[in-house]
Amino acid sequence: MLDLGKSNSSAHRRYVVRTLAFMSGYVAINVAAIFGAFDDIGSPVAAWLLALAVSAPVVGQIWATLALMNESDEFVRALTAKQFILAAGAAMAIASVWGFGESYAGAYHIPAWIIYPLFWACFGVIAPFVRSSR
Amino acid sequence: MKNRLKLLRVERGWTQEQLGQALGVSRQAVNALETEKHDPSLDLAYRIAVLFARPVEDIFDNPHA
Repeated sequence: MLDLGKSNSSAHRRYVVRTLAFMSGYVAINVAAIFGAFDDIGSPVAAWLLALAVSAPVVGQIWATLALMNESDEFVRALTAKQFILAAGAAMAIASVWGFGESYAGAYHIPAWIIYPLFWACFGVIAPFVRSSR
Repeated sequence: MKNRLKLLRVERGWTQEQLGQALGVSRQAVNALETEKHDPSLDLAYRIAVLFARPVEDIFDNPHA
């Protein structure tokens, strides 16, 4: 997630609250799954509902990040957007290389949801080097 | 973009936080302007000009002049 160590704007506070709320739901559903709460799901509809329930907090957290950009001043918006775009590009590039590795080189399969933590890992690596909006 | 924002701010004894509040932007934005890491929008440049009661080009050098 974003490094908010030196910021105390209301937009950033809302971002932290929203992210914590969404991630709490994400953790709760996954912990329940780990402890077998959904082991008896039989129908495809119920399985898809579970998949949607797990992914909904991820979608929510992405929205929280976009909302932060929308609600921030022009510098924070431009800087965060620049970091977001670079991280998204890096994550897509890595995912594409691995995906074609699966198709042509026998690389083992990685589930598509890994793009989300991969994006934030890329963001964490890239953000310290992108400190200018220009 | 080269500017005299820090000089004008210090002349008035304001902190970056105080200037940010007066302009409706974050302290980070003021710092980025002063360290030339952000070129202000026309709207923000005019707000700064009004706050310091000076023409925009007295505060920000025109890079195309």
